[in-house]
Amino acid sequence: MARIKKKGVTGQAKNFITRTQAVRKLQISLPDFRKLCIWKGIYPREPRNKKKASKSSSASTTFYYTKDIQYLLHEPLLQKFREQKALEKKIAKALGRGDGHDAQRLERNASRPEKTGKTKYTLDHVIRERYPTFIDALRDLDDCLSMLFLFANLPSTPTVPAKMIARCERLCLEFEHYLIVSHSLRKSFLSIKGIYYQATIQGQDILWLVPYRFNQRVTGDVDFRIMGTFVEFYQTLLGFVNFRLYTSVGLVYPPKFDKARDDLGAELGAFSLEGNGVGAIEQPKQITNGENKAPDPKLQAEIDKLMSQLNNVEKEPEEESATKQITDGDDEGEDEEMPTDTIDKFEPAAPGGDILLQPSYSATDPSTLFANFTFFLSRETPRQPLEFILRAFGCKRIAWDAVLGEGAYTHNELDPSITHQIVDRPPIQVDPDNEATTEDNQTAQKLQPGSRVPGRIYVQPQWIWDCVNDEELKRPDLYAPGAQLPPHLSPFVKKVRGQYDPSAPLNEQEREDEELEVDSEEEEEEDVEEDDMAVQKPKLLTNAEIDETAEGMDIAGSDDDEDEEDASEGEGSFGGFSDAEDEEEDEATSAALQRQRELEAELTGAQVEEKVIDAKANAKKKAAKKAKEEDEELERAKMMMSRKKRKILEKMVYSNKKKDAEAEGLRSKRRKIEKGGKGAARA
Amino acid sequence: MAPSTLDRKRKAVTRDVPEHSDIESEAEFGDGLLEGILSQSEDSEGDSGDEEEDSEDEEAEELDELEALDSDEIPSENGEAEADGLNGDSVNSKSAQDMVKSILGDQQTLEDEQDIPNYTVVADANGGERYVYEEINPVYDSDDSDAAVAENTIGNIPLSFYDSYPHIGYDINGKKILRPAKGEALDALLDSIDIPKGWTGLTDPATGKPLNLSQDELEILRRIQTNELPEDGYDPYPATVEYFTGIEEKMPLSAAPEPKRRFLPSKHEAKRVMKIVRAIREGRIMPYRPPEEQKEEDEEVHYDIWQDEQPRPDHVMNIPAPKMAPPGYDMSYNPPPEYLPTKAEKQAWESTDAEDREKEYLPTSYDSLRKVPGYEKFINERFERSLDLYLAPRVRKNRLNIDPASLLPKLPRPEELKPFPTVCSTLFRGHEGRVRSLAIDPSGVWLASGGDDGTVRVWELLTGRQLWSAKIGDDEAVNVVRWRPGRDAVILSAGAGEDIYLLAPPIVDPETDAASREILDHGFGHATNATQTLTANGARKEPVAKWTRPGTRLEDEGVLIKITVRTTVKVISWHRRGDFFSTVSPTAQRSAVAIHTLSKHLTQIPFRRLPGIAQTVQFHPSRPLFFVATQRTIRSYDLQKQELVKIIQPGARWISSFDIHPGGDNLIVGSYDRRLLWHDLDLSTRPYKTMRFHNKAIRAVKYHKGGFPLFADASDDGSLQIFHGKVVSDLMENATIVPVKVLKGHKVKSALGVMDIDWHPKEPWCVSAGADERET
Repeated sequence: MARIKKKGVTGQAKNFITRTQAVRKLQISLPDFRKLCIWKGIYPREPRNKKKASKSSSASTTFYYTKDIQYLLHEPLLQKFREQKALEKKIAKALGRGDGHDAQRLERNASRPEKTGKTKYTLDHVIRERYPTFIDALRDLDDCLSMLFLFANLPSTPTVPAKMIARCERLCLEFEHYLIVSHSLRKSFLSIKGIYYQATIQGQDILWLVPYRFNQRVTGDVDFRIMGTFVEFYQTLLGFVNFRLYTSVGLVYPPKFDKARDDLGAELGAFSLEGNGVGAIEQPKQITNGENKAPDPKLQAEIDKLMSQLNNVEKEPEEESATKQITDGDDEGEDEEMPTDTIDKFEPAAPGGDILLQPSYSATDPSTLFANFTFFLSRETPRQPLEFILRAFGCKRIAWDAVLGEGAYTHNELDPSITHQIVDRPPIQVDPDNEATTEDNQTAQKLQPGSRVPGRIYVQPQWIWDCVNDEELKRPDLYAPGAQLPPHLSPFVKKVRGQYDPSAPLNEQEREDEELEVDSEEEEEEDVEEDDMAVQKPKLLTNAEIDETAEGMDIAGSDDDEDEEDASEGEGSFGGFSDAEDEEEDEATSAALQRQRELEAELTGAQVEEKVIDAKANAKKKAAKKAKEEDEELERAKMMMSRKKRKILEKMVYSNKKKDAEAEGLRSKRRKIEKGGKGAARA
Repeated sequence: MAPSTLDRKRKAVTRDVPEHSDIESEAEFGDGLLEGILSQSEDSEGDSGDEEEDSEDEEAEELDELEALDSDEIPSENGEAEADGLNGDSVNSKSAQDMVKSILGDQQTLEDEQDIPNYTVVADANGGERYVYEEINPVYDSDDSDAAVAENTIGNIPLSFYDSYPHIGYDINGKKILRPAKGEALDALLDSIDIPKGWTGLTDPATGKPLNLSQDELEILRRIQTNELPEDGYDPYPATVEYFTGIEEKMPLSAAPEPKRRFLPSKHEAKRVMKIVRAIREGRIMPYRPPEEQKEEDEEVHYDIWQDEQPRPDHVMNIPAPKMAPPGYDMSYNPPPEYLPTKAEKQAWESTDAEDREKEYLPTSYDSLRKVPGYEKFINERFERSLDLYLAPRVRKNRLNIDPASLLPKLPRPEELKPFPTVCSTLFRGHEGRVRSLAIDPSGVWLASGGDDGTVRVWELLTGRQLWSAKIGDDEAVNVVRWRPGRDAVILSAGAGEDIYLLAPPIVDPETDAASREILDHGFGHATNATQTLTANGARKEPVAKWTRPGTRLEDEGVLIKITVRTTVKVISWHRRGDFFSTVSPTAQRSAVAIHTLSKHLTQIPFRRLPGIAQTVQFHPSRPLFFVATQRTIRSYDLQKQELVKIIQPGARWISSFDIHPGGDNLIVGSYDRRLLWHDLDLSTRPYKTMRFHNKAIRAVKYHKGGFPLFADASDDGSLQIFHGKVVSDLMENATIVPVKVLKGHKVKSALGVMDIDWHPKEPWCVSAGADERET
């Protein structure tokens, strides 16, 4: 007989360890353990069988992988923690003895990161261990950037020292500078939570979220010590990443930081980048962990292009030196190299071969999207994101109002070189006479509110984001101040078949019989509603009339549509009823009118209608029959499945149905909206 | 005796070993030993008696061990003594007797000593006996020696209790301590007047005598009262003895002169100072600077940590943290209008708990960027994310991102499976009550049926016209009807009650009719022979079945033979050649299964005992195998070798029916516990497929025998289910079973739906018997 195996010495019982056991084994306090876990990236696991994994009868909640904990045992940080603990004990002892001098002496040795923002230990080795290659670090940068950008925007409190915030801010700005120089920002999105940015660095997509510049609401249930531990780690990480990124494009890290300018609110402008005289580090090979061994050719092409552009940019005149001084040592003409780097087009020489896909270039280079423009940011626009995004997409000259801080190309709104002005304020109706009189005593800097400088394009901030995401310049008239903006769509959504896509026309994504079903449903509804509609109609009409007159009186009302009309049509239709306005007004009554018309049609030519209904009914019947057959088929197939498979299938069908229902809900909403719009147009 | 022998043994042990080795001189030595014992015991009588008694128990325990130690010696001694006695050796015997005597005497003295009582019996006051024990005389070094002599033992009781008694308590021996004599009252008064020094007026509770203080005690009291030190002769301020003082001694302890080094500056110190000076000169020691400035100075160092990066594959168990989901359209500050929630949705969102919400935000539209407020839960969400990163257990989950349709088994299209019965084409009405059984004849023209009304009817299958009917069971239902296989004759068998009838319905042409009558009548000669079997004791054995003619009335109608068995027949199953048929009467104990030979009018009982109640039987369609279904299992027997071949275990609780595929390798089983089981006989004894599509018990199952890959089952829920079951001759390929059609036409009457089912021999038609109708 084989030897009886002892329980709890192999397998899951050995592979997993509860948190309490882990803490005991490491002989540290729970907060220290937490810190270690955060820094070393150790997380609990879910054993396949909890009962087997736990040795105690009570249900333990958290299990760690035993090897993870063993690996922590050799951590140099552990020693630091112990030293710190011993020192704390000594200080406490000295204080207890009343030996203030001794306590003070010991206190000098103690690290007080919450006061100084500095620690005795460094996390360099942890970074190296967790991210053996640079690509690994980039892959994990999402949370790092989101966290640091949040902390850069926090007020300082006892738990969040000012030094930490300052460091976060510096690191973030340095990173932004890299993105600007390397043109690696790809997309950005204005959400209700904040602004999402996506950059692609060495083939890694990095997505992070920056909050809007408001005072963040801090609730009691947020433990800033935990966040602080993360921030500590992320700061170290981003420091190293920044160094690597800067050196890779031939810049000195850290860039020179002008404190005086920063105090004036220059932000990005407070840094001045310098070339390191060595030039960009050539990346001989990209070291990855084998996931994407072959570098994406498209990406490589893009990077190469970026590099060449960078070198071109550096040679440009000193015009933009007010904001950043890029003085690169090497002025080697790399223009000859450029064509060799790009991918050649392979044309099939003889027919019969397979066609291989090749990456295609977009017609316009996104990194030079705004290169030829000069922007002026009005004082109500968010300067920081706009400045960053414009610079990242090639804009060199950005001016802004003096209240937005230092570092602008110019503070003069009337500068003739400005081509675009970003405005986010409601247009104000100005009396033309008044305007004429005030024109004279205006200063050069100030402009009469509501008036515009001719020869420049006024757009709302969304224009920038939509241009960036679509990699093309959008029609600025759609984004004119006061205009009803087109919807701002997320560039991160991958289009999946069957899912609702708001940018595509509705009838393309509908199912074949969807419209039919909806029509029939609506018809039924109509039948029910017809009676009370007839009663309601006169009332509605009078309401509309009243509204119209009221609108006519209200000249100074800040209706966006009205102003847009004014802007386009000039001063002719002041106070009058514009067509668009009428449309809006009638929207409510249009449905009722349409029904009225249908009623009349029914009275006169009922036969015509009936035929239509017959055809519809036939189609409906056919659809129903088909559906029934399909159902039967499915039922038959299901009967032949094993129970397990059937359950999986049912789950999948359920989730798919949920998604479909969501998409269909959106489609039906849109259909309604479109119909409403059409009805209004007809009226 | 024990102690004495023990002593001896001890002695023996302590003595030299060589003495024992000399066996001849052992008797003398034995004497010497005994003497020694006697003397010893005499010596120790006085003092060691008690000890011995005390240690007797211990020694008794030790005895075993000791015996084990000298086991060589003692038995031999005793044995020798006995042997000597037997031999009549006088000297030895004498000595032995002496030994015995001395031992006995020794014991007696011991006992005597123990018997002397330590008390005397005295008559007490009542004239009864009273034991007066001797005074215990503690030995000199006894524990009690230093106890107080006449101590009162009354304990913590007030002395006033003894006021009315002449004594004041008892001493340690229980003797009364008499109250000390007190003088006359006058004397007492005198005493009180003449107070002696140290008189306290108190009585010593211990002695009962007046408590007087001694001179010393009085002195101490006085000192305490006068605040003096209580002890005499204690000097609180002794004169200082100057042991170590500044008094200079005249003579030095050492006469050595003062060394020179005392007057020279230290070289060592100079060295150290010079070291510091040098360090300062070289700039190794910096002048003191306040630490704050230093902290300001040192910046974090930057270097390329990935200078020599080495790709390291992830650990197998490592699960990287999932990235945050990118924002969707509805998170836009200005989403398309269809993403905005309706009023109802908004209300629903607001009314649900924050934890139950599907989305943590409500899509909102702002018509310009400046109107977008800060997101309230920004910090909270980031915090949650960081908690997730280090606290949430990570599990790899395989998400099946496939089309669910791909999971569905590939079934042939129903069009490809055609033909199969789809609609009810004919109803055969005529039976009163249930139709219990039906069968289509081998030619496929007629349909026979039997029911509760006791009639057997033959119908034309295509038209539904009743051709012929005969009432065979007078008051019993016809349980089963089956046609005899073979086209040469048209013979119908029917079971009603305990009788099996063989009928030749007059619906065919005369030649065939004659042929069938000939077949039926052929065996009448054999039948008599067969029934002549005798039992062991010579009595004529009751025949298993009686083959008789049913009587003229029935004979006229075409019922030609009546076979009477012992219990009700439920199932008839014909052999493919048409000569044998088997019947099952489940209620019978021994003769449950019977095999009848038509040509010989012979009935045999193949099984004397069956494990369980027999349900149904079948002949194998091509081989000489016979299948018997009991409640749980189906057994197949080889008829030629007469042995059990296989036990098939469908796993059903109660098999109702089964059928064998015409190919012979597959089997379907229907059970009362709603299962339909397909067995591949080559594969295993367990079912290949289990189908549970019925809500009620399955009554009957049937394969199509005419070439279509179809089978059907009939259930009590009133439905037939038609399956496509294709058996491929290739051994590697399993049978494909596809449900094809559910036919519903029967009404459920008293919890019974469809009773029986049969297939047309050639066409894809099936008939079923229900409450009162059949369908094709």
